[in-house]
Amino acid sequence: MSTRSFLILIRREIWEHRSLVWVPYVSATLTMVAALVGSSILGSIQTNIDGDWRSAEQIGESFFFKALATDVATQSKLMSIWISAIGLPVIFVTSIVLYFYLIDSLYVERKERSILFWKSLPVSDAATVMSKVVTALVAIPIWVWLVSLVMGLLTFAIVALKVSGTLLAPLANFHLGAWLVTQLTLLQNLFIAGLWYAPLAGWLLLISVWAKRAPFLWAISPGFVALFEEIVFDTNYVIRLISFRLTHYLEEVSVVWDNKGGTSIEASINAVQNAYSRLSAAPLLGELHLYTGLLAAAALILAAIRLRRWRDDT
Amino acid sequence: MTDSVIVAKDLRKRYGKDTVALDGTSFSIGRGRIVGLMGPNGAGKTTALKAILGLTSFEGQLDVLGRDPRRERSSLMQDVCFIADVAVLPKWLRVDQAIDYVAGVHPRFDLTRADAMLAKTEIRRCSKVGELSKGMITQLHLALIMAIDAKLLVLDEPTLGLDLLYRRSFYGALLNEYFDHERTIVVTTHQVEEVEHLLTDVLLIDHGRIVLDSSVEDLANRFVQLIGNNDSLEAARSLGPIYEREVFGRSVFVFEGRRTEELASLGETRTPSVSDLFEAKMTRRAS
Repeated sequence: MSTRSFLILIRREIWEHRSLVWVPYVSATLTMVAALVGSSILGSIQTNIDGDWRSAEQIGESFFFKALATDVATQSKLMSIWISAIGLPVIFVTSIVLYFYLIDSLYVERKERSILFWKSLPVSDAATVMSKVVTALVAIPIWVWLVSLVMGLLTFAIVALKVSGTLLAPLANFHLGAWLVTQLTLLQNLFIAGLWYAPLAGWLLLISVWAKRAPFLWAISPGFVALFEEIVFDTNYVIRLISFRLTHYLEEVSVVWDNKGGTSIEASINAVQNAYSRLSAAPLLGELHLYTGLLAAAALILAAIRLRRWRDDT
Repeated sequence: MTDSVIVAKDLRKRYGKDTVALDGTSFSIGRGRIVGLMGPNGAGKTTALKAILGLTSFEGQLDVLGRDPRRERSSLMQDVCFIADVAVLPKWLRVDQAIDYVAGVHPRFDLTRADAMLAKTEIRRCSKVGELSKGMITQLHLALIMAIDAKLLVLDEPTLGLDLLYRRSFYGALLNEYFDHERTIVVTTHQVEEVEHLLTDVLLIDHGRIVLDSSVEDLANRFVQLIGNNDSLEAARSLGPIYEREVFGRSVFVFEGRRTEELASLGETRTPSVSDLFEAKMTRRAS
């Protein structure tokens, strides 16, 4: 199958599931509105620092912000952190949509019998199943990245306008180099997320091609297995495996604001540095778990391809 | 036969323990033929078609255009088209998307031909399949399929649930604009009367076995229908008809392997229609 033919398979996925395109778009717009409202009240906000409630005015006068005004390195890192963070709602909402997309993708065609039309064309089952994998783990993540990139810039511009002339203005200095690096890191993170969650995608596709009805319930059936294990054997291996596979990626990239060093300038700059150093998911590439997951994903996807090839219930 | 498009030998398939769909089915279909594969419900028609299309597993030997449909399904589909039945185009698909898709994945799709076919209908490009009538969906599906330069076209109950006008124009388009004596068409349908005038060959299947395999020209040599005179019914019965029934108080017999001259003195003779033979063969097996 040529690249051109494969691309039309991905377009087909997007024709069928329009929400994959507009959900990132809408959630980005809502995030932006929230940022706009948030920055409007930024001036009057009271923040609890060091046990004392202080206004933005006082924060701006704090050592930290005075330091920030002159320390460009920390400024640019702080910018990277919040540009990364602001895309999170879009990624989160889109993940939920992708989850349902994968469950539906090989189930609905059987239910509505359109599989007989798709199978009347020279498209192999492997190409069909892979088009769904690539849509969920590559195509839509790239779209999410593009939408977040534009939204990040617009939000940055809005916030910059709001805080210009105030003591918080250093927060809105734009650092092109840092911005570019951040965008590349985010793109890389989305690809790594695709690799990490490939076994989940494989599982959902297998359920989708296998279930006679209620694929959504079957998809969450390992949860029932875990419950059974808990009750009968009083152990929790299954739930630990599931939660590890679901959350380990997030642990790896979560931004932790650690300011146990106190509120001194050095401690604050260290906290920024720590958080910044965890923005990249690249360390996951060095973990064996990523590769065992990929093996599992390959097995699940192969099983899904085989089942779609031979399943005969139309 | 070197010019065979499909050669099936001893196909076997069961569903579960008790349902035998194909029971040693053997047949071959030559190039440029229009073959009606007919039989009662559950006779194995659809299973045979699914086997040909590589949509189901089975035992036995099957060669379709030189390929084994079990192993080379997706490449086989470059030369084979099928319409499973009227309702398989997905509702969410827009007409222009359907065309783009088939054009994108099928190397032998002729866009201008599809456009020309659609221009003759009232189908709008921006409509979704879900907004079209059943007849229009069939027109769309036929336009997509007829724009593909395939060697074998398989139709499984293609006009089920359509009104008379759509059914007529469906087969009319197929015969006048598609069939060119190089292509082969295999069609299953319940509405035997509607297709019998366009068939070149007839395959009757019952309980997973082929009970009749004949070209339409040969039917006249093999079968005679006799509307018996009332005084010669016993004489007619003694010649071993394969089927007898009463129509308006007269006995109608179907004979296999008897010459018209042998029977002419017993009543009116003629060549039975495909539907008569269908009835004769199926009733005989049922009794």
